[in-house]
Amino acid sequence: MPLHLYILRRVVFVIPVLLGITLMAFLIANAVPADPINANLSQRAMSDPEIVAAFRREWGLDKTLPEQYVTYIANLLQGNLGRSIKSRQLISDDIARFMPATIELATYGILVGVTLGITTGMISAIWRNTWMDATARTISLIGVSVPVFVLALIGLYVLHVKLGLTAGPGRLDFTMTPPPTVTGMYTIDALLAGQWNVFTNALSHLVLPSLVLGLFIAGIISRVTRSSMLEVLGMDYLRTARAKGLAERTVVIRHAFRNATIPIVTVIGLSYGSLLSGAVLTESIFAWPGIGRYMYRASTSQDFPAIMGVSLLFAFIFVMVNLVVDILYYFLDPRIRQS
Amino acid sequence: MKVSRLAILLLVLALLVVGAAQAQDEKVLVVGHAEATDSLDPARGYNQTTSLIHQTIYEALVTFPEDSAAEILPGLASDWAISDDGLTYTFNLNPAAVFASGAPVTAEDVAFSFNRMINVQGQPSSLASTVASVAAVDGQVVITLTQPDPSLLAKLAGPGFQVTEAALVQANGGTDAADAATTDAGEAWLNGHSAGSGRYMLDSWEPQVQTVLVRNPNYYGAEPGYYDRIIIVNMPEAATQKAALESGEIDMALDVTADQVPSLQSADGITVYQGSGNIIHFLLMNANPDVGGPMSDPNVQQAVRLALDYPGYVSLFGGVNPASIIPAGFLTAYGPDRALTRDLDAARALLAEAGYADGFEVTLNYPVFTFQGVNMETNAQKVAADLAEIGITVNLNPGEIQVALESYRNGLDQFSYWFWGPDFIDPLNYVEFLPGMKVGGTRAQWTDERADETILSLRDQALVESDPAARTAVFEAIQDYMQQNGPFAPFLQPGVQVAYASDIENYFWHPQWTVDLSILSSAE
Amino acid sequence: MTGGLVLVTVWIVLAALAPVIAPYNPLAQNVNDRLQPPSQEHIFGTDELGRDLYSRVLYGGRITIPAGLLVVIFGGVLGVAVGSVAGYLGGLADEGLMRLSELFMAFPTIILAMAVTAALGPDIKNAIIALVVVWWPAYARLVRGQVLKVKNQEFVEAAHCVGASRIRILVRTVLPNTLSPIFVMLAVDVGAAILTFAGLSFLGLGPDPTSPEWGRMVSVGVDYFDQWWTWLFAGMAIALMVIAFNFIGDGIRDVNDPRLR
Repeated sequence: MPLHLYILRRVVFVIPVLLGITLMAFLIANAVPADPINANLSQRAMSDPEIVAAFRREWGLDKTLPEQYVTYIANLLQGNLGRSIKSRQLISDDIARFMPATIELATYGILVGVTLGITTGMISAIWRNTWMDATARTISLIGVSVPVFVLALIGLYVLHVKLGLTAGPGRLDFTMTPPPTVTGMYTIDALLAGQWNVFTNALSHLVLPSLVLGLFIAGIISRVTRSSMLEVLGMDYLRTARAKGLAERTVVIRHAFRNATIPIVTVIGLSYGSLLSGAVLTESIFAWPGIGRYMYRASTSQDFPAIMGVSLLFAFIFVMVNLVVDILYYFLDPRIRQS
Repeated sequence: MKVSRLAILLLVLALLVVGAAQAQDEKVLVVGHAEATDSLDPARGYNQTTSLIHQTIYEALVTFPEDSAAEILPGLASDWAISDDGLTYTFNLNPAAVFASGAPVTAEDVAFSFNRMINVQGQPSSLASTVASVAAVDGQVVITLTQPDPSLLAKLAGPGFQVTEAALVQANGGTDAADAATTDAGEAWLNGHSAGSGRYMLDSWEPQVQTVLVRNPNYYGAEPGYYDRIIIVNMPEAATQKAALESGEIDMALDVTADQVPSLQSADGITVYQGSGNIIHFLLMNANPDVGGPMSDPNVQQAVRLALDYPGYVSLFGGVNPASIIPAGFLTAYGPDRALTRDLDAARALLAEAGYADGFEVTLNYPVFTFQGVNMETNAQKVAADLAEIGITVNLNPGEIQVALESYRNGLDQFSYWFWGPDFIDPLNYVEFLPGMKVGGTRAQWTDERADETILSLRDQALVESDPAARTAVFEAIQDYMQQNGPFAPFLQPGVQVAYASDIENYFWHPQWTVDLSILSSAE
Repeated sequence: MTGGLVLVTVWIVLAALAPVIAPYNPLAQNVNDRLQPPSQEHIFGTDELGRDLYSRVLYGGRITIPAGLLVVIFGGVLGVAVGSVAGYLGGLADEGLMRLSELFMAFPTIILAMAVTAALGPDIKNAIIALVVVWWPAYARLVRGQVLKVKNQEFVEAAHCVGASRIRILVRTVLPNTLSPIFVMLAVDVGAAILTFAGLSFLGLGPDPTSPEWGRMVSVGVDYFDQWWTWLFAGMAIALMVIAFNFIGDGIRDVNDPRLR
């Protein structure tokens, strides 16, 4: 199948999923008995039926549920996610404001995770059942087993409070002015503006949270790398390659790793997607003003337009990551091209 | 000739160097604070966070001394007159006063600001309940009342009555029209800008993250702001504030706990202020039997008051046990020596009398919130443990503060735990806890019908009495009554602890706005 | 694997015997003894209300272990039901159920759980429900695949020929042949379920603060960050418990997949 047809098929397939996601987000948001009137109008305003009616009109609360859903989809198609009840800002603006911080952290986290995970995974596959395998597997077991919030607290206590090696919570020291916004990612914006001290400060704030996230991701990647490498290493054609007298290094890197990449790419993609949306715990400990913390606040204050908007965003990210992974498969797996 | 050219060159270079050094030497004050507001619009925001911020960016007609609320001082108004019947107040404005934009502060601006606040009907508007009209007449501000209000001037110095620049607010969606509650759209702009005459201007507000203030270059007063920028960082946890202060990331921590004081005092370069606060932490027991169930029974209410381990709360958070809902230290208030003491046997007897000898189960609503170092969740757990001893099983129902507020304000809490900070510094504010008033009547549903003659007549006297001796007698009678009756169990008046870098000068704790950040400076 | 089994057994025994072993009532407060560092009387120290942290950690297992198991069991049962119906019936039912499971998988675990607890209100029961909602689709998809594999094999055809009913065939012949990969997945998942449950309750979306639940204890301890014992021991308890379950999960998986040994 040619590439463009393959992509088209995947994209068409995505549409009903996205539609279903909007419906589900909408249903969850409306499953709550709480009346947003109470949380959002003052007591005096609430006793005035005119004000209450105006509020219901403004937020579309005076319509039936199906009508509200249709309005919601219509707005969505115009890129309008609605307004957060709590911040009274457009949710799309809120997302644009909080998302860069999350993307920045997730990217550094995945870099740490991939480097660490593939290295330990390869080591333990190649030197299987040796002490190196045991050590690497133990590290990955700890990575997937210790809760990120516990890891984060231990890291903060030891590295920041006791040893003073890394910066504390937040994206920058409070006295630093953020660089002029281009991408919203401080390390990139600081470099673009040539503000070296801001860059190093932002980086020092990224070290601890990205290590914490990275260790967790490394645990997953390491396990997948090990098992898919083992699977490939045991296959006939590698025996053939070895029999042909190819150096072990060539066998491992040229043949084995390339064929083990499919599951590894999948898990990296999914991990990145989950970091973009699932770093709630890390963000809350490191006071990281990202989208996870925004979602957390929305869910504790029953800000349902915001909960819906962010859920949609996350589901969208998930679908897109899957799409990208599918497209990568196209290049990695000759069978797809031939089918 | 050559020499002078060289001299000029050197001078230019020197200026450049000095200029560069100054640019880097920006004076910044960073304050850690547990943020608790969803609006910085003076017509809407109404709590300690807004008071703290508004004090730096807005001014009011009158104000308090920097360290107390003991007297009323001129603010934007240079002087004022009160009519003999107490119903008309006339203010002359300080002719020198200008907004940050450079425009003069006029009587029209004042009338616009007050009318907008009243008509928007946000939380602060309740402070204007006695105001009949506000008008600008021949350059003077004239406020007429529906009834005499002994506390009007104190209210004018507090939240809601900040003066905003009418033209600027109107240009950004604000209106003071009678239907402002639905048509005013000024809030979004006022959440990111200020339109005031204070020493600082609002540069940005990122909710739950930080508020940035910059110096007002057009400040008309003798002493402009010292810092180029003031950053108020949201730090909900006291532990974070302490660590950030110790590492020098912040200069002032507003919400440290009593626990942290010894270790902060021993730290180099940190000064700790300790004083008696004026916040009362109390339990509310709904007086409406349909809502309160067993909690509406007067015997149960008294049993709860007698079952609390009062000194235990002080050992958790410092401060004192108040004798009633009026904070110790207020005019007419009883001291902590008059506080109730625990009497479990009497409490059990009262429960048995009410028909609950075997106890009962009840849900306690409270916000997940730490205010001035007092973690309400900790107290809620202790309340549950205290009441367990007389057989009352308390289930905890924590809520995000804005969510929890809704059932509280609507009087739908069966049993809840809240705190009260005075709107204005006068015992009259605590009449709100009496039957038919905001907290007593609406929130605890202690209506006139559910109250007895004694307290109703005390309430009515308190509202109008202005003779000092007679006032003391009335408020003492109210405190005596509330120790035995009523739907409230006040149990803690926490101390306040503020820690700051020792080079900060001119720090004063203030009962209304916590601290006036705009008058601070640093030793050089 | 053996190590894991031993560790899990130790945990379960400790939790079961907590009322006997624990030196103090885990709920008993003593404000005069608050925030005491580890000592002879309180080997894990005390928390902000003077409760004994060692006793609380012991009791914590009584909440967390069952919670993790319940999530996996209910999620597994629901998933097996949906997946086997989808796989066996095929056609529209299959298509619909699988698309539904995809929808649930599209939401990140903790976000979906947060949305569900926001709707239901925070307590242990709702946290478990939220996690079951998140957990079932993976099982549904696994079982469906297995059922499809087994469905067309000879013994199923044979059962069909002798006139057995559809449900009977599904329950009696198809399902038993798909069970082994499901049990592997269940075993591997318990650790993750405990981890997610602890995360939810760390965020305050689980049990109330008096409860000696580990995630909750850690989040309370964060307020007393300097007093490291208030968060460290509960945090380590979660970690050790998850490590133990993951050990077993890994072992079971390896046994079923000889290539990985």
